[in-house]
Amino acid sequence: MTAAVAVERLEKTLGTTRVLRGISFDAQAGEIFGLLGPNGAGKTTTLRVICTLLAPDAGTVEVMGFGTRSAPEQVRSRIGVVTADIGVYPRLSARENLEYIARLHGLSGAELSRRIDSVIERLDMGSFSKQRAESLSSGQKQKVAIARAIVHDPEVLMLDEPTSNLDVLASKEVREFMVEAKGRGKCVIFSTHVMHDAERLCDRLTILHRGQVVASGPTAEVRGSRRDLEDAFLELVGEK
Amino acid sequence: MQAALIVYRKELVEILRDRRTLMAIGLAALATPLVLFVISQVATKTATQTYTVGYSGDIPPQLSTLLTATSLKLVPVVDPATAAKQQVDLGAAFLPGEIDEYYDPSRQGAQIASVRLETVAGQYAAAQAAAALQSLHIDPGILTPLKLVAHPLSSPVKAASNAFLSFFLPYILITMIITGGFSAALDTSAGERERRTLESLLLTPAPRSRLLLGKIGAITTISLMAAVAAIGSMFLALSQISTPGAGGSSLHISLNPAALPVMVWLALLIAVSFSAVTLAIGTLAKSFRQGQAYVTPLYFVTILPASIILFIPDFNPTLAYYLIPILNAVLVLRDAIVHNSVGWAAIAVTTVSLIATGALSWYVALRLFTREALLTKS
Repeated sequence: MTAAVAVERLEKTLGTTRVLRGISFDAQAGEIFGLLGPNGAGKTTTLRVICTLLAPDAGTVEVMGFGTRSAPEQVRSRIGVVTADIGVYPRLSARENLEYIARLHGLSGAELSRRIDSVIERLDMGSFSKQRAESLSSGQKQKVAIARAIVHDPEVLMLDEPTSNLDVLASKEVREFMVEAKGRGKCVIFSTHVMHDAERLCDRLTILHRGQVVASGPTAEVRGSRRDLEDAFLELVGEK
Repeated sequence: MQAALIVYRKELVEILRDRRTLMAIGLAALATPLVLFVISQVATKTATQTYTVGYSGDIPPQLSTLLTATSLKLVPVVDPATAAKQQVDLGAAFLPGEIDEYYDPSRQGAQIASVRLETVAGQYAAAQAAAALQSLHIDPGILTPLKLVAHPLSSPVKAASNAFLSFFLPYILITMIITGGFSAALDTSAGERERRTLESLLLTPAPRSRLLLGKIGAITTISLMAAVAAIGSMFLALSQISTPGAGGSSLHISLNPAALPVMVWLALLIAVSFSAVTLAIGTLAKSFRQGQAYVTPLYFVTILPASIILFIPDFNPTLAYYLIPILNAVLVLRDAIVHNSVGWAAIAVTTVSLIATGALSWYVALRLFTREALLTKS
C-alpha cells in the first residue's frame, strides 16, 4: 500500500542548529500516526517540511505521491494543518474565515457553500459561525482553525499540539474529531508531548529525540512491556 | 490571478473593519479643511484688523482722514519711539515736511501698520504735489517722466491661487498616499504574522506572488481612498472658503486643467510603488508596533527632499532630479499647477523612476515573503 505521507532521511538545519538528522517514517490513510518527542525534538519542523512551509536540506517527503519539492502546490491542496497557535482573522466572522481559505483552495459557488455548511454542522459551529472571530472563546477559535484545515477535504490532516491551549472540554472535542477523521479514511498525523493522549489515540507512532528517530512502530509495540507509553518514552529519551 | 482577487477582497474587508484605518482616512478628510479654515480666518482677521498708531505732532486733516479709512487708529502719545515698543503697533512723529516712523519689524502687526502708513503717506504726498503743480498750471505728469505700465499675463489672483496650490497640493497628496496606506500595509504584513494567520495563508496552494499582489492591490486602494478623501475635502473646503487677496479682492482657488490628469497619474504611481515599499518593510516586522517603528522613518526620508524643494521658489531642476522618487512627483505636479503645462520628458522620467521603485520593492517583498525566517522567527 502506498503511504499517505512518506518521509525519507530528512535533514534540516535552522540557523546553526541541526534540527532534523535523517529521520524517516511513513503514515497511512485511515490511521492516527503519532509524532512524539520532548520540546525541541524536531516535531514542528518535521511537520513544516511535510506541509512545504520549510524546504528540506536533504532527504525527501512525499504526500499522496507528490514530492514537496517538485509539486508543492499539489501537496498543499492535499493536507490540512492545525496548530496550537490558533491564528484566525479577528475582524472576519467564523464563516468568512472558512470562505477565505476555501476560496484559496479553489472552491467556489454552490460547492463552496455546501462544503462550508457541512463543516459548520460537523463541528457544531452553527451558534457562532456569523460572529466575528475576535469575540470567540479559545475553544471556538480552535474549532474555526480545525474547520479551516478540513474545509477543502484533504486526505492528510496534521495536528501539531492541537490541545495545548485548550480546556478539558475543548480538548475532548479535538480528540473526538481526530478519531472521526480516521474513520473517514484520512491519514491523521498527531504531534504531541502528551503521552496519555498519544497512547489512547495513535495506531502507530514515531518518537523523535534531538532530531533523530529513537523508536517507531505500532503503539503497543513501542510501549512493549513497560507500564505505559510515558515510561517507554522516558526510557527511550534517556531520562529513566 | 483569481487568488490575488480573493486576497484583495478579503484584505479590503478586513482593513475597512479596522478602526485605525478608518481613523486615518477620516483624519485625512478632516485635516485639510481644518487647516484651510484656520488659514482663512487668520488671513481675514489680519486684512481687516485695525492697528494703532501712536503719534506726536500735527497731522494734516486730509491725511488723518485717509489713515483712519485704512483701519489705522490714531492715538496721541508723548514719545512715539517708546510707545512703539510697548503700547502701540507703530509710532509716528509728524514733523513739518517729514514723518518719522518707529516700529519693531519682528512684530507682524507693526509691519502691516508700517506698510499701510507708507502707502497712505505716499498717496497723500503725490496728491499734494499734483495739486501744487496744477495751481501753477503745470501738468502733474511731469512728476512721472517714465511711466511703467504693467500687463500681467495671468490674473494676479490666479497666480496667488496657483502658488497656494503648488505648495499645499503635492504635500497633501503625497503625505496622504504614503501615510494613508501605512496602517493597511502593516495590518496585512506584520499584523498577519502577529496574529499567527500567516501560516494558514501560506498553506493554501495559491502562489505567494499572487497573495502578495492581492495585498498590494488592497493597500493601494486604501492609499488612494485616503488621498481622494484629503484632496476632495480640500477642494470642497476651498469652494466654501475665500481668503482676502491683493487689492481687497477675494481669492477663490481652482486647479488648472492640466494638473488634474497629472495628479491622478502620479497618485496611482505613488500608491502602487509605495504599497510595495511599505509591504516589504512590514514583512520584516514581527508585530504591528515594530512595523510602525520601521515605516515612520521611511515617511520622513521620502518627504524631506520634497519639503525642502517646496520652500525654494522658482527652483529649476535638471532632468536628473526627476529620478528621485517622491521629489519627482512634487516637481511634476508643481509645474502642472503653476504653468498649466505638462513636461513630457519630466513625466516620462518620473514614471520610469516610480515604476522602478515599485518593481524593486515588489521583488524585495516577494523575497522576504518567501524566506523561511518569516515563519521560523515569528
